[in-house]
Amino acid sequence: MKLHEDTARIQDLLGEYCRTGEDTEIPGVTPGRVHHYRRLVYNVVRDTMDSAYPITLAALGEEHWDLLVQDFFSSGIPQTPQIWKLPFEFYRYHASQETGSRIRKPYLEDLLYFEWLEIEVHTMPDRPYPDFRKHGNIFNDRLAINPEYEIIRLEYPVHLHAVKEATDLKGDYFVLIFRSPETGYVQFLNLSVLNTYIFTRLVEDGVPLNELKGDIASVSGIESGKYLDDALEKFIGDLMKKKLILGFLKN
Amino acid sequence: MEGKVGIGLRRDIADVILKSKELSPDFLEIVPENWMGIGGQWNRIRKAAVEKYPITCHGLSLSIGSAEELDWNFIRDLKSFLDENNVRIFSEHLSYTKSQNAHLYDLLPIPFRRDAVDHVVDRIKRVQETLERPLAIENVSYYTPVAAEMTEIEFISEIVERADCKLLLDVNNVYVNAFNHKYDAKEYIGKLPLDKVEYIHMAGHEQVEPDLIIDTHGQPIIDPVYDLFEWTIQRMDPVPVLLERDYNFDELDQLQSELAHLKSIIKKHWKVSYESSTGKISSAEPSGVSSAEPSGVHVTTK
Repeated sequence: MKLHEDTARIQDLLGEYCRTGEDTEIPGVTPGRVHHYRRLVYNVVRDTMDSAYPITLAALGEEHWDLLVQDFFSSGIPQTPQIWKLPFEFYRYHASQETGSRIRKPYLEDLLYFEWLEIEVHTMPDRPYPDFRKHGNIFNDRLAINPEYEIIRLEYPVHLHAVKEATDLKGDYFVLIFRSPETGYVQFLNLSVLNTYIFTRLVEDGVPLNELKGDIASVSGIESGKYLDDALEKFIGDLMKKKLILGFLKN
Repeated sequence: MEGKVGIGLRRDIADVILKSKELSPDFLEIVPENWMGIGGQWNRIRKAAVEKYPITCHGLSLSIGSAEELDWNFIRDLKSFLDENNVRIFSEHLSYTKSQNAHLYDLLPIPFRRDAVDHVVDRIKRVQETLERPLAIENVSYYTPVAAEMTEIEFISEIVERADCKLLLDVNNVYVNAFNHKYDAKEYIGKLPLDKVEYIHMAGHEQVEPDLIIDTHGQPIIDPVYDLFEWTIQRMDPVPVLLERDYNFDELDQLQSELAHLKSIIKKHWKVSYESSTGKISSAEPSGVSSAEPSGVHVTTK
């Protein structure tokens, strides 16, 4: 590095002041001007977090929220050169610091994760779509799944209830978040444990539903028969309407 | 693209640019960091933009002045993005945006010092080598010098000369800096290596204190900046000119007026013709081709 230690130190003084807002002596600056840099830098970060996490901001209130953003920005060492990815680092930072427990908002980690996933699924790189046809048999043919989705597990149902109610409903919740192939918009589905199992097996095994029915019956305790067939038909039909199942694989 | 006038592809106005004729830029500028590695709806919009317009790219996160090593993974991804989008002109800021290994997401002023010149020159050379294209480095606005040992003009000129890079001349930044630091903007521009200018930015700003202007990209360009632009382009060869606007997109007709105003000034001094806004444009018309404003373009004199 050709930068002298002294110059590097001066640059770091200004950088650190912009991150922490803590007054420091920076040599050779015009009095009364440096605070604009802290203001401009912090506004960019704060605006980014406000846009990414509107529900968390509303749930925590302005004052608490600002403390979280300041804490992250001063101690979190932002790594991404792409600022739209910074909210993920914010989520990871507060998860690692167990901030939710510390401020007695146990839902915090789940809510941040859920809000981030909406951005991630909306922007994630395109995944290759399978070749599919529109017509087929949902039990005998292999189903073509929309590849642009994520399944997450939450402890608090922040996707279904306001945080106050969600806090009292701790449990196991599965959420399927997916991108519409036509509009690119993101939707989510609350999945029961059984439906999560069925969907995951369909994706992982890549076999017709008929071949999974025995396992599904065994896991669910529902006897294989018309009742199970009707339930599966309804579930798959819903996924098809939402374009999460696109149709039937060609090969 | 020489002499053509473009606008930044911001998400707020992407639909308007691609689907309507309310704005008629000749080219679009993309901030790579906001579009790299993105799929879905925004990827489709990027592809449509590249299909319809020539593209320049203007980076934010290279942090050419930082003490820490350059982020070579990022730079390699950047090169792929530039290649994929047929980008000839890539510009970045003469500033630093990273300190103590933390990104800051805004442009901090590099101390105007000899060792900083050596440092930046070396880094620009290495970046150009990896990107396999010249880097146009932008004169940034700054609100205070930091531990300076040389003047701003000495700092920039020496870097551009020694790094053998191009210059992105932001005329508004010169105006802002001249106001904030009390120097003569024309004298400053007159000392720049204008033969190295590859690209011009024009933008609005906001005066926040009696003696301080902040470069906001949110307001219309003011007359003294248009005047400085006109004075400048008479002293250099044609290059692409960008209307830089990052927010406040409510009044599109006002943005369109700014594009038209820039074109009207350019036409007085550079031999350029403007086609209608849709179809791809090629490079500058040869000398002697008469220029004509597309029908319906409203020219204001603000």
